[in-house]
Amino acid sequence: MALLQRGRCCGAAATTSLRRLVRGPQGRVCGRHVCSQYRASSSLPDEKKEFLQNGPDLQDFVSGAFSDKSMWAEYKGNLKRQKGERLQLPPWLKTEIPIGKNYNKLKSTLRSLNLHTVCEEARCPNIGECWGGGEYATATATIMLMGDTCTRGCRFCSVKTAKNPPPLDLNEPYNTAKAIAEWGLDYVVLTSVDRDDILDGGAEHFAKTVSHLKERNSKILVECLTPDFRGDLKAVEKVALSGLDVYAHNVETVPELQRKVRDPRANFKQSLQVLKHAKKVQPDLISKTSIMLGLGETDEQVYSTMKLLREADVDCLTLGQYMQPTKRHLKVEEYVTPDKFKHWEKVGNELGFHYTASGPLVRSSYKAGEFFLKNLVEKRKTKVI
Amino acid sequence: MSSKLFGFKSTVSHPLPIHRLQVQHSSADRVTVHFINRDGERLTAMAKEGESLLEVVVNQNLGIDGFGACEGTLACSTCHLIFEEDVFQKLDAITDEELDMLDLAYGLTDTSRLGCQVCVKKVMDGLTVQVPMEVADMRRGLEVGKQSK
Repeated sequence: MALLQRGRCCGAAATTSLRRLVRGPQGRVCGRHVCSQYRASSSLPDEKKEFLQNGPDLQDFVSGAFSDKSMWAEYKGNLKRQKGERLQLPPWLKTEIPIGKNYNKLKSTLRSLNLHTVCEEARCPNIGECWGGGEYATATATIMLMGDTCTRGCRFCSVKTAKNPPPLDLNEPYNTAKAIAEWGLDYVVLTSVDRDDILDGGAEHFAKTVSHLKERNSKILVECLTPDFRGDLKAVEKVALSGLDVYAHNVETVPELQRKVRDPRANFKQSLQVLKHAKKVQPDLISKTSIMLGLGETDEQVYSTMKLLREADVDCLTLGQYMQPTKRHLKVEEYVTPDKFKHWEKVGNELGFHYTASGPLVRSSYKAGEFFLKNLVEKRKTKVI
Repeated sequence: MSSKLFGFKSTVSHPLPIHRLQVQHSSADRVTVHFINRDGERLTAMAKEGESLLEVVVNQNLGIDGFGACEGTLACSTCHLIFEEDVFQKLDAITDEELDMLDLAYGLTDTSRLGCQVCVKKVMDGLTVQVPMEVADMRRGLEVGKQSK
């Protein structure tokens, strides 16, 4: 009640002061009466004051106190979307704000080298973690070639779209290779936007970047996350034979949801063919793909998709939670629990994938270097034994 | 002071924020548009003349899922809308670029257009458009139907 009265008084005073303003230089604006848009804390009711006093403050949020894993199992919020609602983010998907020396260093290096990363363009939640480097101290960054504008508009991706993006920078392969070699990364992921406006979809550009890079530093491990090149297998071959170590192409979702989730120019069969063909022309390659969960797929669909992928001799699989990047994109249908992700990891390992990276925040190139090296090291150990 | 200048009436005790004043003055240029969502729900919006239907959906946060992925650059078909015959005839001619993208849309009809290319005009007041169903939605509908039997 007191608040309302005070509000009215403020209002009346403001009207008066505005009138004074209009009247001219003689009329003074009385400071005391200028109505502030923001309520002073002293005008809050006592219960609110107490809540603010005893509740969480900025320190708690910044320190990560709310990412306590033991609280995940107790989360009682809704995980499956009902009609008309928008799900709230469960605690296991809350990430820390990226800060730190490594992160900042990487960011400024990228800008100075004029490199784009999909980490920034697609608003990846892991940016702080990957750029910071993990237990093997392998900082992974996913460089985006051929610009930051794609020719397709998929309903899960927030990368900029245009019908005719700016033409390719012909110096990009050389400059990118130089920059990455100088950077001293151990494992780099090269990806690109879809460029349906270019005849070969950008395959030559991609391949050149890889070969330049390997020339400068033959020890660096290169993973290429390629588009589907509209099913042009010659283009796939060009990239597969460029000297890379891991050929990745994402199927994104189960076959039943392809039409809804991806651009209509993409489909499951085409994507599977890309992966199969890469292996066919270069059998030493390691092939990799990724699926997003939480778009409305059923367990049976996920399992059968995994089987199809294994039958196509795909070596590595990553499973992650779909998160709605902007309001123009698909809503999250379900937040899959960390335990469920662990289940899929087990299934993947049982089906015989080289490795299955599965977790809510896992993305195609999430800690790709880490996983790859860890697996390689372990496999080598067993051979020795 | 003259109340006309600020839109104040002498009886009003608190000042109106400026943006509300502007809305009051331009209410005449608003066109009513109805969107029938995929689940049958009717969403009504007051559009400004000249706004594209995509802009209406995005700016007014209408609950249409995955609409306008390419931000209106004619590089997707997620803003596909189905118009009534008589309104459809009155729309501006379709360009080849729009046709290329529209051809990829699921559930294409003879009165389909892309929402990002259709701009709201005064004569469209009371317009009703249908948001087309998705493949997945149709399948799910069939499954639910089977289960309920």
